[in-house]
Amino acid sequence: MRVRNPQDLLAGLVLVGVALVALWAAGSLSQGRLGAVGPGMMPRATAVLVGAVGALVVLSAFVAPGPRLERWSVRGPFFVCLALVAFAVTIRWMGLLVAGPLVAVISSAASPETRIKEILVFGIAVTAFSIALFKYLLNLPIPVLVIPGVIVL
Amino acid sequence: MEGLVGNLTLGFATALSWQNLGLAFIGCLVGTLVGVLPGVGPIATITMLLPITFGIDPVGALIMLAGIYYGAQYGGSTTAILVNIPGEATAVVTTLDGHQMARQGRAGVALGIAALGSFFAGCVATLVIAGLAQPLTRLALLFGPAEYFSLMVMGLAFAVVLARGPILKAIGMILVGVLLSTVGTDLDTGEERLTFGYGPLADGIDFAVLAMGIFGFAEVIRNLDYQETRSVVVRAIGRILPSLADLARSAAPILRGTLVGATLGILPGNGAVLGPFASYTLEKRLARDPSRFGRGAIEGVAGPESANNAGAQTSFIPLLTLGIPPNAVMALMVGAMTIHGIVPGPMVMTKNPTLFWGMIASMWIGNLMLLVINLPLIGLWVKFLTVPYRLMYPAILVFSCIGIYSVRNAPEDVIFTAVFAIVGYALIKLGFEAAPLLLGYVLGRLMEENLRRALSIARGDLMTFVARPVSAGLLAVAVIVLVAAVVPAVRKGREEAFKEE
Repeated sequence: MRVRNPQDLLAGLVLVGVALVALWAAGSLSQGRLGAVGPGMMPRATAVLVGAVGALVVLSAFVAPGPRLERWSVRGPFFVCLALVAFAVTIRWMGLLVAGPLVAVISSAASPETRIKEILVFGIAVTAFSIALFKYLLNLPIPVLVIPGVIVL
Repeated sequence: MEGLVGNLTLGFATALSWQNLGLAFIGCLVGTLVGVLPGVGPIATITMLLPITFGIDPVGALIMLAGIYYGAQYGGSTTAILVNIPGEATAVVTTLDGHQMARQGRAGVALGIAALGSFFAGCVATLVIAGLAQPLTRLALLFGPAEYFSLMVMGLAFAVVLARGPILKAIGMILVGVLLSTVGTDLDTGEERLTFGYGPLADGIDFAVLAMGIFGFAEVIRNLDYQETRSVVVRAIGRILPSLADLARSAAPILRGTLVGATLGILPGNGAVLGPFASYTLEKRLARDPSRFGRGAIEGVAGPESANNAGAQTSFIPLLTLGIPPNAVMALMVGAMTIHGIVPGPMVMTKNPTLFWGMIASMWIGNLMLLVINLPLIGLWVKFLTVPYRLMYPAILVFSCIGIYSVRNAPEDVIFTAVFAIVGYALIKLGFEAAPLLLGYVLGRLMEENLRRALSIARGDLMTFVARPVSAGLLAVAVIVLVAAVVPAVRKGREEAFKEE
């Protein structure tokens, strides 16, 4: 037995893992009968199918040759997601005026080509544009500037 | 026939009001503006721009959304031709000959023929929709839960076959999508399912959040893996109006592309993606000198672009008549309609004829506007494309964050998209395709609902799905499609259709 398709081996294992997690999470839900299907039947049935397909994919990885695993980069996903989280945390407490440039600057760290001064100016410009568009032109209820206890715009 | 004329008259009366014309115009314009950005397809564009339709009445909002959709499609072609980066799967084919034409200094002609072909395809597709809407809606009213369930099974079977890559992995993705759709509160009992006791999950996963993370942000992250190697063709756009010789060459491909695209687009299960590929293969087979393809053959732009637009439009049919979204973009449309208090399905046409026919008429108007506003503005889009990616992606992220946040005014939604961005990135690295997952997610909830209803009507008898003739027929088609896809001969054809040289 030799692994001939490392990508599919991992892909299949991931599917099996998803199935197991779902089965565990659906543990306490009642199954019901076919005439009166309970909340647990669909998740459980689907999870079993996902697991079965996953197992087949794992098996196929030993049969047919396929691509190796690609290299995963860390920098890109990390800074992009950090930027998204920063937006989520600051939008209510500080407003778009802070959250916007923050997203631009943090996410810019994901690319090796970034120039810091350029992105600062650009981030502020994009934010100003969005505030004008979403807040004043379209009247969306999005907080622009919040200083707790002092000002809510 | 008379009814059709009357309906279309009503539709145009609605769509031609100054307000709605203006909304269609703005929709097409901003749709193109965002769709032109490299790596931003229609899904990301619609999610980003959804909030701007919030304050408008439902008819206007849908007209604007449709405009955004066409604009995004068209903008994607512009990027494919000028920069060689397809915004989405269907634009891949356009890069083959379109970008070659651009390198030969014929970018303008390529863009021009794409616009003309799309406009023709749009006109035909609008008529097809108007003609099929009534009979299909009548059919839909005869459907019970068992038929709906079987129809969706058939749609998913098509989705498996039409997905690129290994069939087994596509099935896996669909099932994961269905599994994700069961997260949240159970409709019958109110019990929480698969939420791990985490409150915000009780409402289920919002589709816009899932799509934006898995499609939009994952794409941004993936693009960051590659160094900037864009070669924007800016120097010479050249003349835009195709010469008579060009037109003569393109006429037949446009006609064939329109037919192929319109037919495939009606299929539930994302038939529209196959249109451009099928049209390209067809034109190459029919060509007297196939070696010209891939080196700037105008037929290779005219056919697929027409097929693309025809399919993009006829994929509205399953949504508007049956209430079943055939692909991820249409699923976003469901979300948008629900926000405006409309439940897509057979009842829309009878209950809300102004909205229904107004939207159909606006499709044609949208196509006309694309032609009128885009050809003169091509210079502007080109300028836009020279903005380097290091600035473009932070801007995309800022707008997307605002879009996601505004849908429910929920900051945690933005965090969910971050999670799904990583999931999407992992899927790309593992060789999975995200489109079947989204479709499984969209249809999952509808399927479960109809499955449970059908079973409770039949007192738990599973045979009800085969005992009812329509349902049995639909299931038979599903089985045939799946079996056929595994048969070696068809399998080879399928791989060939998706091959991009």
